[in-house]
Amino acid sequence: MTERVAWHEWIRREEDPARTSERPEALDDLVVLDISQGHYGAFLTGTYLAELGAEVIKVEPPGGDPIRRWGPPDATANGTGLAFVAEARNKYCVTLNLDKRQGRTMLKGLGARADVLIEGFSPGYLDRLGLGYRQLSKINPRLIYVACSTYGQFGPNATAQTGEYDLIDQALSGLIHLTGDPDGPPIRVGSWISAYAQAAWASMAILAALYWRKTSQQGQMIDVSGAEALLRYLEYTVLLYHATNQVRGRMGLYELAVFPYTFVRVKDGYAFIAGYTDLNFQAICRVMGRPELARDPRFNTTLQRTRLENEVLLRDEIEKWSATLTADEILKQVLADPGPGIIVFGPMNAPTKVLQEAHWWERGCFRTVADPLYGELLLQMPAWRMTRTPPRLKWACRPLGYHNEHVYQKYFGLGPGRLAELKSQGVL
Amino acid sequence: MARDYFRWAQALFDPARLHEKPEALHGIRVLDLSVIIFGPATADFLGELGAEVIKVEMPGQGDVTRILGGASFFWKNVSVAFFSQNHSKYHVGIDMHKPEGQGLVRKLAARSDIVIENFKAGCLEEKFGIGYRQLREVNPRLIYVANTGFGQWGPFARGRASYDGLAQAVSGLTAITGLPGEHPTKIGNYIGDWFGACMSAVGALAALHWRDRTGEGQFVEMAQCEGLLRAMDWTWLYAGLTKRDRPRTGNRDPVFSPSGVYRCKDGFVALVAGTDAEFRRLALMLGQPGLARNPRFATRESRRNPENADRMDALVQQWCERRSRSQVEKTARRFGVPAAPVMTGKDHYESRHLRARRSVWEHEDPVYGPMVEYGPAPKLSATPARIKWAGKPVGFHNEFVLKKILGLSDDEIQSLTMAGVVGKWADKVGAKPPDDWKGEGILL
Repeated sequence: MTERVAWHEWIRREEDPARTSERPEALDDLVVLDISQGHYGAFLTGTYLAELGAEVIKVEPPGGDPIRRWGPPDATANGTGLAFVAEARNKYCVTLNLDKRQGRTMLKGLGARADVLIEGFSPGYLDRLGLGYRQLSKINPRLIYVACSTYGQFGPNATAQTGEYDLIDQALSGLIHLTGDPDGPPIRVGSWISAYAQAAWASMAILAALYWRKTSQQGQMIDVSGAEALLRYLEYTVLLYHATNQVRGRMGLYELAVFPYTFVRVKDGYAFIAGYTDLNFQAICRVMGRPELARDPRFNTTLQRTRLENEVLLRDEIEKWSATLTADEILKQVLADPGPGIIVFGPMNAPTKVLQEAHWWERGCFRTVADPLYGELLLQMPAWRMTRTPPRLKWACRPLGYHNEHVYQKYFGLGPGRLAELKSQGVL
Repeated sequence: MARDYFRWAQALFDPARLHEKPEALHGIRVLDLSVIIFGPATADFLGELGAEVIKVEMPGQGDVTRILGGASFFWKNVSVAFFSQNHSKYHVGIDMHKPEGQGLVRKLAARSDIVIENFKAGCLEEKFGIGYRQLREVNPRLIYVANTGFGQWGPFARGRASYDGLAQAVSGLTAITGLPGEHPTKIGNYIGDWFGACMSAVGALAALHWRDRTGEGQFVEMAQCEGLLRAMDWTWLYAGLTKRDRPRTGNRDPVFSPSGVYRCKDGFVALVAGTDAEFRRLALMLGQPGLARNPRFATRESRRNPENADRMDALVQQWCERRSRSQVEKTARRFGVPAAPVMTGKDHYESRHLRARRSVWEHEDPVYGPMVEYGPAPKLSATPARIKWAGKPVGFHNEFVLKKILGLSDDEIQSLTMAGVVGKWADKVGAKPPDDWKGEGILL
């Protein structure tokens, strides 16, 4: 039985970003320890879980996580690196010195109580400190222990790790090799995309492990390589080599599998346009006022359209039309087309232009937060919409050790006097 | 001690014993109504972790991904682009345009935990009567996952279709990728589909956790544009504070210096020395230890000065171009400098390391024979993710799904087939089995 109100009205009301705080949180029964240092993928794993409601305790050395200094050279938020401030949300920030015996004892105490522990050290490092999965699983057999690294915890290259960087992971994944013009160098993706992918896989594996824990009562160890996180996104690349001996290379603005599916010049910049099935390609030709192109023997089948020489010719034909119009003008024409067929079109937006689009603000993708310590912050919001348990931003970022009193009082009953003592001993 | 750790880790994760171990999502059934990559990959990832996935396609030609690509893409009657998001699924051909087909989907949804679709917002409800509001009537515990470009509502949501490339463009990710002043750099894989699918699966599992606590299902949505704009680290904060666009910096990571992709004798390597300690080791590796004391390079801040960074880039480039990728990798490893080759599909295929981890996964399929694909990304010690079989022709498991789950008789299946409600592959490339197939792999 369909209710009277239309779907998009109904779902808009159900997902109303303004009412998020009235709803419960999916993961608010979980305690997560993020003990990583200088590791963005591990850091983001904690962020995702914190957005979904988990209590995430970010454990930092007394000098702070090096990520606090990561960001562009020409801007900080009151001295803190923007890469940290952007993603430190909803976490409890505590200090703990794992080089001290007392610090390690306290970490074991937290580990005994946690559902999930996330780390991003060189494989074997925490094991040497007596804080690896081998040791912590004896204290807490239900613990789900996640280790992030470049090459993973096992396999021939596992012993030869260095600090994990997005650029290195992008290179190993093969994504860089596929990006850029065929006669130019390989190009990296501009954001730390491997870290976001690594965190997504880690979160997925954690939640699957939690599901299994309900029946087995057992935790486990999860190993996530940032390189493999992106490698799994490379679709058919390795199968193509296996099946046909072709090594997939860079195609620039062209495509092996589908065309048109490319960027074209428009009057005010560049835009993306696609319509690769026959029906959708006919729609593009119709909107361009060039219906004869759809019948042209060079372009009239998917096989013809994906011949590289035809792709180049076709893209030129599209540009003859697109370059005379602005992206907005073209979008209007595309949306007014009655069909049949679907044209996928949109401008290539610079970030400041993205921020002018009402759509994202209405949907709550961005929020400006007046933070008492860091000032006015423009932040991206959680990516998921959930009607019953919407994820959310609660606070943006807190200074080093800000939650020491709360967390250590809560988990160890330590009062201010004892905390001061631990601090003077260099444990916190 | 360290040796001992790696022996222990190898035994803990031992891929040779992987199939002896249980699966994390065993007992979860996923009904996959989606096409192309974004939806099917979400279902695929849950399937790798142990869920039973039933993929519903139009009888005849099926999912369009089966016929994607130029002539060189076709292998054993199907495009290689079909397989990476369709492992270990049960393939059933149901025409959702027909009321009886919609009835079958409703019955399957009543017996499923998660439904995944990637139609235009509202399409399944308005056109087919099997949207979230209808399906939750037959299954209140249902988790309904909807993947789209722009979301279910909002100014862009109605009437605007999306592909990965569009998400790259409108999210701003393309604008911060590549070199300034050049034409846009299209990211070489379908990153918006894959990352979005990954996040979508996270949302589905968070909803599953909530359902286990309360018994309540819910609607989960993921928009691929929103997924990518979520994955742009400090871009938005920077725009908010400076009112400027984060510049495109090519292969130089603006946070770490030096960093870049450098040409070698036989390809490219990526190299980063983000900390002062790593830089000192790099200086030693380059045979110029004095660089670490030179005020232009001694600190992270001084190295990030564009002139100094350019100078350093040139030095690293000179050093790399006299060496092969593996020489750079080996030497960097010895000195403790983060560096790695830019790998190709062939490199992946031949990598001992990736094979040992089953990140490159060789398996033998009853229909397609030996296959080499990318394996599951996360490694779980107690419940390892796995590939069981490859994607199959349209409707390959019709009898199995319709009998095992819905309890239909042969007569009922036959009359549904006659009416075109259910069906298998047409005699078309993409949909049909390989020419030399002799009935292997059929379940019932």
